[in-house]
Amino acid sequence: MTATPAVAPRPAVGGSLSASGIVRSEWIKLRTVRSTLWCYGLLIVLVVGVGTLIASLANFADGDFGSRSAPLANGAAITGDAAGSIVVGLNTAGLNIAVLIVAVLGSLIITGEYSTGMIRSTFTAAPRRTGALTAKGIVLAATAFAATTVGIWLSALVTWPILSAKGVEVQLGDPAVFLPLLGGALYITMIALLAFGFGVILRSTAGSLATVLGLMLVAPIVLELLHALTNAAWVSHVSELLPQNAGSHLFDYRGASAFGGSDPGSWITTGWQGFAVLLAWNVTVLAVALIRVKRRDA
Amino acid sequence: MDRVIEIHNLSKRYGPKLAVDDISFTVQPGLVTGFLGPNGAGKSTTMRMIVGLDRPTTGSAVVNGKQYADHRDPLHQVGALLEAKAVHTGRSAYNHLLALAATHSIPTSRVHEVIDMTGLDKVAGKRVGGFSLGMGQRLGIAAALLGDPQTLILDEPVNGLDPDGVLWVRQLTRYLASQGRTIFLSSHLMSEMALTADHVIILGRGRVLADAPISELTGRAGTGRVTVRTPSPAELTQAIAGPDVTVTEQPDGTLSVAGLGAQQVGEAAFRAGIALYELTPVKASLEQAYLALTQDEVEFRSEVAA
Repeated sequence: MTATPAVAPRPAVGGSLSASGIVRSEWIKLRTVRSTLWCYGLLIVLVVGVGTLIASLANFADGDFGSRSAPLANGAAITGDAAGSIVVGLNTAGLNIAVLIVAVLGSLIITGEYSTGMIRSTFTAAPRRTGALTAKGIVLAATAFAATTVGIWLSALVTWPILSAKGVEVQLGDPAVFLPLLGGALYITMIALLAFGFGVILRSTAGSLATVLGLMLVAPIVLELLHALTNAAWVSHVSELLPQNAGSHLFDYRGASAFGGSDPGSWITTGWQGFAVLLAWNVTVLAVALIRVKRRDA
Repeated sequence: MDRVIEIHNLSKRYGPKLAVDDISFTVQPGLVTGFLGPNGAGKSTTMRMIVGLDRPTTGSAVVNGKQYADHRDPLHQVGALLEAKAVHTGRSAYNHLLALAATHSIPTSRVHEVIDMTGLDKVAGKRVGGFSLGMGQRLGIAAALLGDPQTLILDEPVNGLDPDGVLWVRQLTRYLASQGRTIFLSSHLMSEMALTADHVIILGRGRVLADAPISELTGRAGTGRVTVRTPSPAELTQAIAGPDVTVTEQPDGTLSVAGLGAQQVGEAAFRAGIALYELTPVKASLEQAYLALTQDEVEFRSEVAA
């Protein structure tokens, strides 16, 4: 034991709790868990891989992939909307699987804290809780957007020469092409946040994965079956409002998916409408999440 | 003088169970205050409410003049170890501390400092999932010390530590208290408390059973027995015999006298010309005092079958 001053010295280390500090903390947390990093790596590989695979294998001249034109004479160039649809379609094709990765990632990033007890450290350091959750959401959104953007544009760069060789004209500067490519990254980001919201509400990894994946994988199938049985229009409208179905319009080329046109009489036909529906999902779920987390015991 | 923990009429109900039942007490700076009680008495719940992890059903807990969440720099006000391994198992100890430090812009040098202080330097780069209970405990203490806090709240800090670690926690808490900080630590180990704490608050079934300096508590529950060592036990037994006096010979040859104080035994021996080698009033240990207080308050009693 050394000297014993009567009054504790004012701590000389660090400052106050700050928003930027909490964001930095969440960024450190995100990049220091291996499983999280794997998710981002897998996402990029998937988007680039699927894009490259389609570009290499599809015979676009035969109207194979998304080209809405009739089969072309051999050797003829594919231009205009047909080309745009192909470019958007194949560079975003991987998103349909990547969306499942971010759904898992968005849940895990918070349920992992609950299951390990880390959440108590988090809420002790940032006791108002809203700040910690907002920071986590910001970091998740920024990284999901960045990783998807990297994946999509890497795919675009890799497939460009392949498409050119097959006579498909690549016009990445065309707003009708680059806006859906941007929209694809936005879609992935919003699904990640939605899964995060469910994770906050449900706290358990199993519960929130079941909910999120159920909403994305099971609900569409159930509704499709129901639609086939009843042929009721409302069923297909409800199906349109599912986060995945609504959100996927964000990367439509000129209002039509590369995987087939939408039904006439659909409620949601444009990217903006899809965005609005997905935004409503996010706002609702995240608001419930914030309210619940403020009230309950950690 | 606001470096204190003030608990006002604090209650916490989980469903039908009242875990903490309208308790009030103050924890003073400059002392190590022990928080004792059997398992399930409400110690951890109380500590969790102090740092805002659990919402009180009624009442309030104020630290250094404000509720914990209202401080601008909570980690500098209070360092808390609430349960071992409140840590993501996939992250290294160093990164865990780094992430906590970032919230308050605490420099990396401080992270290295607490790692050195807690003896974690060899394992800091390893993932916490593989930590032993003792290492997890040290990491929790490191996290609590990160902000160089005015107040330290430690829930069962010596749990899982080796004897070296126990000694280290004892010295550390005593040293920090001597700097004028408020140290509040819980334990169900009476012997540890007797060595570490200046003051104890005893909790049983959610209520405060005692709130007193250790010396007062052990004195209050005195046994009223006196241990005497003499070369002539038979003569002494005769000299002090009386209706209320019982003398029992101990295996080690000393006499244990009940019904007379040390003074009366000494005077009787003097009058009879008997030499005494030892004359000691037997104080109750903290353990006995504690058991006497909590006898009726233990929630999970182990019944011994007849």
